[in-house]
Amino acid sequence: MGNLPFVASMMLVAIGFLALITRRNLIKLAIGITVIEMGVNLFLVSLGYVRGGIAPVYTYAPPGFKQMVLPTPQALTLTAIVIGLATTALLLAFIVVIYRHRGTLDAGKIRELRG
Amino acid sequence: MVHAPILAIAVPLLGAFAAPLLAKLDKRARDAWVLAAGLAVAVFGIAVAVKVLGTGTPWVYTLGAPSPGAAVTQGGFPIRIVLVVDALGAFMGIVAILAGAVGLLYGLHYLREEEGKTLGLSLLLLLWAGILGLVYTGDLFNFFVFLEITSIAACALIGYRVWESRPPEAAFKTMTMYTLGGLLVLVAVGLLYGEHGALNIAYLSKLITGSAVERLALGLLLGGLLMKAGAVPAHMWAPDAYGEAPAMATVVLVANTQASIYAIMRVVFTLFGGALARPGIGWLIASLGTVTVIVAVLMALIQRHLGRLIAYGAVSQIGYMLLAVGVAAVARGGFGEVALRGGIFHMINDAASVGLLFLVAGAIRRAVGSVDLMGLGGLGRSLRWESGFFLLGALALAGIPPLNGFASKFLIYESAFRASPILSAIAVLASILLLAVVVRAFHGTFLGPEPKEAPPSPKGMLVAMGVLALLILVLGLFPGFFLGRLVGPAAKALLAGRAAYLAAVLGG
Amino acid sequence: MRIGSGEGFWGPIVWAILALGIAALGFAVWLQGRRTYKRGTEQEEPFLSGEKLPPGAPGIGGTHLYWGFTEALKPFLSRLAAFHTGFVGDYVGWLIVILVVAIMVVILT
Repeated sequence: MGNLPFVASMMLVAIGFLALITRRNLIKLAIGITVIEMGVNLFLVSLGYVRGGIAPVYTYAPPGFKQMVLPTPQALTLTAIVIGLATTALLLAFIVVIYRHRGTLDAGKIRELRG
Repeated sequence: MVHAPILAIAVPLLGAFAAPLLAKLDKRARDAWVLAAGLAVAVFGIAVAVKVLGTGTPWVYTLGAPSPGAAVTQGGFPIRIVLVVDALGAFMGIVAILAGAVGLLYGLHYLREEEGKTLGLSLLLLLWAGILGLVYTGDLFNFFVFLEITSIAACALIGYRVWESRPPEAAFKTMTMYTLGGLLVLVAVGLLYGEHGALNIAYLSKLITGSAVERLALGLLLGGLLMKAGAVPAHMWAPDAYGEAPAMATVVLVANTQASIYAIMRVVFTLFGGALARPGIGWLIASLGTVTVIVAVLMALIQRHLGRLIAYGAVSQIGYMLLAVGVAAVARGGFGEVALRGGIFHMINDAASVGLLFLVAGAIRRAVGSVDLMGLGGLGRSLRWESGFFLLGALALAGIPPLNGFASKFLIYESAFRASPILSAIAVLASILLLAVVVRAFHGTFLGPEPKEAPPSPKGMLVAMGVLALLILVLGLFPGFFLGRLVGPAAKALLAGRAAYLAAVLGG
Repeated sequence: MRIGSGEGFWGPIVWAILALGIAALGFAVWLQGRRTYKRGTEQEEPFLSGEKLPPGAPGIGGTHLYWGFTEALKPFLSRLAAFHTGFVGDYVGWLIVILVVAIMVVILT
């Protein structure tokens, strides 16, 4: 059961890649990327989890605590979430601009750059 | 100058975010500010390179310690984030500074105020900071963060011309690929952290034994970085991006791609250079490099769009570098070191020649308004300087002696021949085809029966192009000097210098 | 200034002097050309295969250079061009292919 979060995160990544390959709507592609991002973030958080651990803040730690969860993966995840926000915003901005130019969101039709 | 490595990253960041504020006050103040920031970055980067190459040991800069020279490890465990600049990092810093400075100088005259010049310059500085961080960092997670900074800044620059229909499309595709590549790197970082509980490259490198999780991490890192470098078949974003980005950004994008090659070198030779130094990885990279070279050149041959044509040429040059890295990973030392010297030397040569071609293409676009080879022609008389620069850059790209492209390709051919004659033969063949490509581009753009009128380019743009043209000549005529002073130590730092790198960070 | 690869060497200065010599020779040949043509007359007009070009004719554009070569390789080149579909899903698909190959190689070696 301890590996369940890793299985779940890898499934999220797989679902995201599946969406990227099979879907054609640009918004859905952006959602696919976000799903992969969430899977990776879940992977990082579960990496640092220690069974029975408490939040790694010494100031608020109750007396006589046994273990803390690892703080570094949480810091990594926070950074990754912020970066993910920036990339998602930029992707959506590009989608809006593309839609204004072409009047479609079908990635199969947005193929001016090819060959 | 104790703080030069971090200042080289921090100053362009400050420059980028302060530029829009200054632009609200006065446009000329903004230009002066951006130029001053660029000058400061150049000074810091060159100071780093001078010190690292002068002392011959990696420069470890500890962040968050009482003094930047403090020990990284406490109780045998590295607890602080570090910047580690060895000879290769210093060399890559010089390449990045060169590309960034030329791009900035060009951009100040190339961008138009009503198009959003301020934001273009800001993003350029941001991309520059990201590349410098990428090549200076000694910490895997910071590596990921800088990778994402370059991705975001690069894609925003690619989509700079939002009023046209092609650039947003290119930016969307590139952003998708860059994000996925970055996430693969992040998973690999997570795997390595889960296995060893550390993020410091030197410390991890000491602990790596070759377990299944580490192998998976290496595979993920290679997959993400090969895509970001533009290896066939995951290269398709590269011609889109290079072809549609404004010219001043493309020069820095080329340096960004080379930073990915640097990252592959760092991963293969330093991080996994101990227990996982297997020739199979080298053969993978070398064969992908060879495929990249030939596919990109053949695609360049049938392009109509001048930007895309040069972009495919740039992708083929990446193939040469990958080939060199692969050969070096097959044979560490001996002809492997020759290959590595060729590959590292090819980076600065490629930045100069491909950069010059992109700058000329940008000048043509600015003067004529189109870069379709069907409609171009006869510009040689009105754009004299540009045609001369284009010819020089094109011949250097094709590797015509005595220009710089030949000096590095010569080393790559000779060492690849020792590894496998087939790789070398394909590389030579591709170089011949590349000559056909650039002759076609030159003929289509500048020659033709009817001379066409075109307004001259601003002086600043010509100066930026002239810097790169001069560099091509100097690098081509005096390769021995650069190989001995800059490239040789960089190649040594990767192979024999791995122990020195680990010792510099971990002590003892 | 020579650089060696262990097998051979490369000395650009000698080559540059040689190239300059050949360029000087070419210049000397060019100097033998006629200078007495009259500007603004028919002597300045471009001809193609003995026919005067009609105004606005493009001549041989850049895209037609190496026509024979690209024509001979056309079946292969057109397939290569079709391989670059421009569809984002394919880009991602090839990224997965390269990733799987890299992981396989790393695990098997």
